[in-house]
Amino acid sequence: MEFEFLINNVRHKISLEKKEDRFFIRHQDKLLEADIEAISPNMFSLLVEGRSYLVYIAGDKEKKYISLGSDLFIIQKPGEEVRGIDRGEDRLQKEKPVITAPMPGKVIKVCVAENEAVRKNQTLAIVEAMKMENELKSPIEGVVKKIFVADGDLVDSEKPLLELEAPK
Amino acid sequence: MSRTKKNQKKRKKKREKRKKSIMFKKILIANRGEIAVRVIKACREVGIASVAVYSDVDRASLHVQMADEAVCIGPAPATESYLNMDRIVEAARATGAEAIHPGYGFLAENPEFARRLEEEKLVFIGPNSKALALVGDKIRARQTMEKAGIPIIPGMKRVLKDISECEAEARRLGYPVMIKASAGGGGKGMRIVSSEEELRPGLEAGMREAKAAFGDESVYLEKCIEDPRHVEFQVLADNYGHVVHLFERECSIQRRHQKIVEETPSTALDPELRRKMGETAKKVLKVARYNNAGTVEFLLDKDKNFYFLEVNARLQVEHPVTELTTGVDLVHQQIRIAAGEKLGLKEEELSQRGHAIECRIYAEDPSKNFLPSSGKILYLKEPKGPGVRHDCGIYSGWEVPIYYDPILAKLIVWAETREVACQRMKTALEDYVVLGINTTIRFLRDVISHPRFRDGATTTSFIKNHFDGWKEEGASEDLLRLAVAAAAFSDFSRSQAGMVEAATPVKESYSPWKTLGRWRIGGKS
Repeated sequence: MEFEFLINNVRHKISLEKKEDRFFIRHQDKLLEADIEAISPNMFSLLVEGRSYLVYIAGDKEKKYISLGSDLFIIQKPGEEVRGIDRGEDRLQKEKPVITAPMPGKVIKVCVAENEAVRKNQTLAIVEAMKMENELKSPIEGVVKKIFVADGDLVDSEKPLLELEAPK
Repeated sequence: MSRTKKNQKKRKKKREKRKKSIMFKKILIANRGEIAVRVIKACREVGIASVAVYSDVDRASLHVQMADEAVCIGPAPATESYLNMDRIVEAARATGAEAIHPGYGFLAENPEFARRLEEEKLVFIGPNSKALALVGDKIRARQTMEKAGIPIIPGMKRVLKDISECEAEARRLGYPVMIKASAGGGGKGMRIVSSEEELRPGLEAGMREAKAAFGDESVYLEKCIEDPRHVEFQVLADNYGHVVHLFERECSIQRRHQKIVEETPSTALDPELRRKMGETAKKVLKVARYNNAGTVEFLLDKDKNFYFLEVNARLQVEHPVTELTTGVDLVHQQIRIAAGEKLGLKEEELSQRGHAIECRIYAEDPSKNFLPSSGKILYLKEPKGPGVRHDCGIYSGWEVPIYYDPILAKLIVWAETREVACQRMKTALEDYVVLGINTTIRFLRDVISHPRFRDGATTTSFIKNHFDGWKEEGASEDLLRLAVAAAAFSDFSRSQAGMVEAATPVKESYSPWKTLGRWRIGGKS
């Protein structure tokens, strides 16, 4: 049985075959033989080449979260890479960066007005969540093109707050 | 017996009666999260019934599950629930609670609340309202302590009236200066300003944060002492003037001026400095006529000069490290002192044994400037083992609300030496699994593992100096492979168990996701 996953936007193809009580795992050019025991739906014990690994796993609609040897892996299904990945630095490099809410919270203050010129690192807006204010700074020197929110608005993560434009 | 003798005897009896404590039968805990759970457990241990209060979004919270009784006190915003004195007093009246433990944060250091309870003949498990008002007003506290000969940091002796006055004061002190909330604590409203340009926006933000956190927007300026250590002393004072200190806690590892790692003993103190600071801490509480548990915070500079910073007039988040090294249960002590018992502890009988470290587990993303992370905890495994204590306010399946402080739990370890305590903490952090939301667990593991931390070179700029732009190190190829295998196994066994709609064609499909259609974990569909 073949599977495909995304970890940090890298595709991983893996095949899993069960023969009697053992699993044969093929991933990239490696073939592994493993004894996998589901202790509970959230906990698997893996014995691979005599070594014992404990895996904790849980999932929501989009992702699986896996803890293994104190490392954490967030595993998505392929097709998710288009959505939700193109954020942060990549977008900020573009001509018209859109500033989005980094987490669900409340807009405390929009510090600029439309058509206002802004310096790099100037505070554009302040969003509060969990009693902590987070200042959103301008990634570029430019002009505020559009503002989508007002003081006091509740916003979800990723919600566009304002749009900037780099000088021509 | 002569009349005067009789009267004397009567008076003596009366006095004794007054001093005799009557232990509470029921305590209301005006807080939530791990600290509410901690206090509820202490109540249970001493045979006192507990009442939890909760907001609409906290119905499923752990503290509600654990208490003997629970009362809803309003909607999610703290100002309408956990900060709503009327509702909390009503809840105490309705349940017949005789005393209220405020935990930390919320109303814990609000003299108005303490005064209100005094009027209502309810016992506030904390200092008297006068002392609370004094130490809670950082400016007045500074003035009083300076007069009493306690060393303080140079800075403003009153709150700012207008911004231009502040600018003049900042110039006089010399940049960098520190903005602090007068009613503050916990780093809220506090920020460093390194130039005049940053002063006005800094003041505005500080005032807004102070207003939101404490309902009082007063701020003031202090000279910023560069790269200090933050060392505090735990003090207990009963209602009769007996005061003891229970040694120091080193709390220099901070982000956003908020502590994330605390330990005791401090690697910076020797017995003589410890004695001097401890005596100063006791003096601070005596000058303030303070009772119950309090913490005196000091800044310790490179030359081992110490300055009084403030009194934290509450049980501190980091109190467990003191408990583990002194063997004293601070919540029990708080309850007994509030009930009118005399302090049973003597300074000369107190000692520190071994070494304790605490790590605060926050719902935050350390790789994104500690951005709060709310959401559902899909899975939790608590670390266990000898010398490991976990003060926890969460459980698998609980949704972390966005309305409150993002602290989830505290992990505390004890061992004979600092070295073993560090190892034990590292192991416990590695053994700690939270799936579904971002936490500070792996960041803390890296902090504890850092060679400079192991050397004890902990100053308040430690995180900035060594962990700026921290990213998690990628896992090894072998572990990654096993993680992918586990994900595959999970889908495999689910399809075997018929839990996935439209059984997956094994060979035909290049990607099983495409053919699976809608799938849900444990869904009913």
